[in-house]
Amino acid sequence: MVTIELSGIKKAWEDFKLEINDLRVKDGEFLTLLGPSGCGKTTTLRIIAGFEKPDSGEILFDGKSVNELPPYERGIGIVFQDYALFPHMSVFKNVAFGLEMRRLPKAEIERRVKWALELVGLKGFENRYPEQLSGGQQQRVALARALVVEPQVLLLDEPLSNLDAKIRERLRGEIRRIQRELGITTIYVTHDQEEAMAISDRIAVMNVGKLEQVGSPLELYYRPKTEFVARFLGLSNILELEARNGVACAGKLCFPVEREGRVRIFFRPESVVIESGDDAEILDYELLPGRIRLRLELDGNTIIAERFLEELPFRPERPPRRVGLKVTRFSLL
Amino acid sequence: MRVRASKLLIFAPAAFLLAFFYLPLGSILKIGLWEEGPTLKPIIEVLSNEYHRRVILFTIGQALASTGLTLLLGLPGAYIFARYEFPGKRLLKAILTVPFVMPSIMVALGFILLFGKSGIITSLIGRDLGILYSWKAIILAHAFYNFPIVIRMVSALWQRVNPHYEEAAMALGARGWRLFWRVTLPLISPAIFASAMLTFVFCFLSFSIPLILGGYRYATIEVDIFTSIMTLLDFRTGSALAVIQIILSMAFMYIYLRALDSYAKREEQRVLQREKRLTRKELLSLKGALIGLYSLTVFIFILAPLIAVIYDSLQFNGSWSLEWYRRIFSAEYNPMFGATTFTAIKNSLLFGFGTVIFSITVGLPIAYALYRWDFRGKRLFDVLAMLPLASSSITLGLGYIALFSKTPLYYSPILIIAAHTIIAYPFVLRAVSTSLKKIRPTLWEAALSLGAREWQAFLKVELPLAAGGLIVGSIFAFAMSIAELGATYMLAKPEYTTITVAIYKFLGARQFGSASALSVLLMAVSTAGFLIIERVGEEAW
Repeated sequence: MVTIELSGIKKAWEDFKLEINDLRVKDGEFLTLLGPSGCGKTTTLRIIAGFEKPDSGEILFDGKSVNELPPYERGIGIVFQDYALFPHMSVFKNVAFGLEMRRLPKAEIERRVKWALELVGLKGFENRYPEQLSGGQQQRVALARALVVEPQVLLLDEPLSNLDAKIRERLRGEIRRIQRELGITTIYVTHDQEEAMAISDRIAVMNVGKLEQVGSPLELYYRPKTEFVARFLGLSNILELEARNGVACAGKLCFPVEREGRVRIFFRPESVVIESGDDAEILDYELLPGRIRLRLELDGNTIIAERFLEELPFRPERPPRRVGLKVTRFSLL
Repeated sequence: MRVRASKLLIFAPAAFLLAFFYLPLGSILKIGLWEEGPTLKPIIEVLSNEYHRRVILFTIGQALASTGLTLLLGLPGAYIFARYEFPGKRLLKAILTVPFVMPSIMVALGFILLFGKSGIITSLIGRDLGILYSWKAIILAHAFYNFPIVIRMVSALWQRVNPHYEEAAMALGARGWRLFWRVTLPLISPAIFASAMLTFVFCFLSFSIPLILGGYRYATIEVDIFTSIMTLLDFRTGSALAVIQIILSMAFMYIYLRALDSYAKREEQRVLQREKRLTRKELLSLKGALIGLYSLTVFIFILAPLIAVIYDSLQFNGSWSLEWYRRIFSAEYNPMFGATTFTAIKNSLLFGFGTVIFSITVGLPIAYALYRWDFRGKRLFDVLAMLPLASSSITLGLGYIALFSKTPLYYSPILIIAAHTIIAYPFVLRAVSTSLKKIRPTLWEAALSLGAREWQAFLKVELPLAAGGLIVGSIFAFAMSIAELGATYMLAKPEYTTITVAIYKFLGARQFGSASALSVLLMAVSTAGFLIIERVGEEAW
């Protein structure tokens, strides 16, 4: 379908500056803009949609600049956080709106609205009005309305954040299924890292108006480039250590590194394997469903470890005072 | 999305405002402040005249007193409406719209029929209460008009006070008066202040009521300008008074608009509090009795003038008869106002619907431009567009005479419609702005993303969603036009006589029967007009 490229995008307000030097979205890719609120992710989406004009820089669809195109000529479909269903139109009319704007013949409109509503599982809801639908159903209508015009690009702005946790999980799976089925280039905005991990081909993490890192979910999770990315995507252990002769050690726990001098070692709680031994002291622990989270003290550093209960070398009811530990996977920050 | 062509749309309204508000205003300023150079002489002369000074003080004083009485009557109602559900509430609500459809001249007539020398109440009690032709009648009539506004505005906000605030305060030990004083009152005070300011401005600029009920002794600035020009033909004094009035009313209007802003902000909290349904036991308690007493007072207060007028129109020589109606319709030509009754009805309707169309043509583009676009001088434009709200009908009439009396336009009905539009369109502008602001901005963006052009997004999404405001604004415009007396009286040639002008002339000749019959007719016409606008409005979208 289409590739998207942002280059040298700058937009400044009195108290905020957005700067995106280079972001490419591949054809058919599902890219998520992830970041805390106020990081500029929604603004980036609105610049791509054409609702905001950047002060400088270019937005390219398939290599062609769309900077000067108004939203209605960019071939986008967009789903808003508040769904933005037209309250004075039925479900059918809402979904048909974009087709009517394109002056398609009536029979064609009916056929395609039917297709879109079936796609999102809302057959038979044609004559309802938005206020008669649940939040999840409204979200599906919004999705159908955006997709029915066969956009080149699908933009989703926190589409699930107003829904219950259960519906959120089900709908994100469906969004992903539909996106794969249609092979449509998609940009998704969220502040929920779990949602981003579950749904994306690649994630672009943003912080105070800048891209921190772009990569696949696993890449970002296990090999973050900055402390911000590391902490934003989950619980992190970051140790500041002195490296000598190819190793950096905290007590008996040593990491092979190629650098010398001060290094920052990063690893996730799940990468810590607990063994019998006396490397570290257990400060406290917390039971989670099927798992245990331990806070350990090792040579002045606090380390968080998370394991499944059956992987422990001791009975969870009676933890020992000290344990041995090993880190299976780490990276340098 | 900035489209140049569509921006041109606001030039037509701007030109209209310039021609029919700012230039006439300029002529008044010129007469009042210019004598071979800028001068304050006419103003100083007015201010050093004992009578005019008293008029100015009385105008402010009666507006204050009217506002006080209005709040006294309205606030209990606001509380009852916001908090309780009781039998008869719907009826009471319907009754409260009566002052809105009753032209002020009809209220004045009703008061005469109630409190006059041979009035209904006077003969019931057996003595003249001395209410008529005094300040008492004026503030009573003003309260009649404005207390439903207080009820509506204050109860709307009161219902939206998040119940959690009061619950939290109660959990912390506040109750009764302290709860009200410390928590509830501060939360609803923007509505109280805004509705009080609105009432004050209305009363400050009101014309028909002080003219008819106050007489010469209790004249307001508005009446003083009117007599200066229409009776004494003294344009200099009239203009100087008008300048003083404009300065004062602009200051009051500024305060009102500020108050309205803070009210609108509060109104955005959309937590609705459920009204409490009163149980049978509560209805029979003191609380129920007080609610009943209040409702009864409202019923009598509102319906008495209306019933008095209807009753009087059906009484001829002491018995029931349709004679007055026969008379106003039979006369081929009424020398009193120089036209037939049919012509007057036709004119009132023509001006009414003309005003609606003009007000929409002027108000809608301005409201939309202020809502949708950002441009240099936007704030100034906003102020300039709302300024006509601070002008009065007599001032407009004076300005039109000063500016247009030597042009052919002076003999055309357009001038009357223009005056009505200047008076009414700010209400269309406000009503439309309010409903535009309530539309979620993402709807417009969604429409654009689906391929709609700006004008399609406007027609298909924004306009239908703002239709409510447009209808309300139109009804307001129609009501104001059809009830307007001052400017119409000053500008209307005999063939453009309206029903209100005809009623005023009958009143002047003390022909109350004819005035009553015409008033009933006027009320019927205006009610029919509302229904038509509502129906057309709903079908058009």
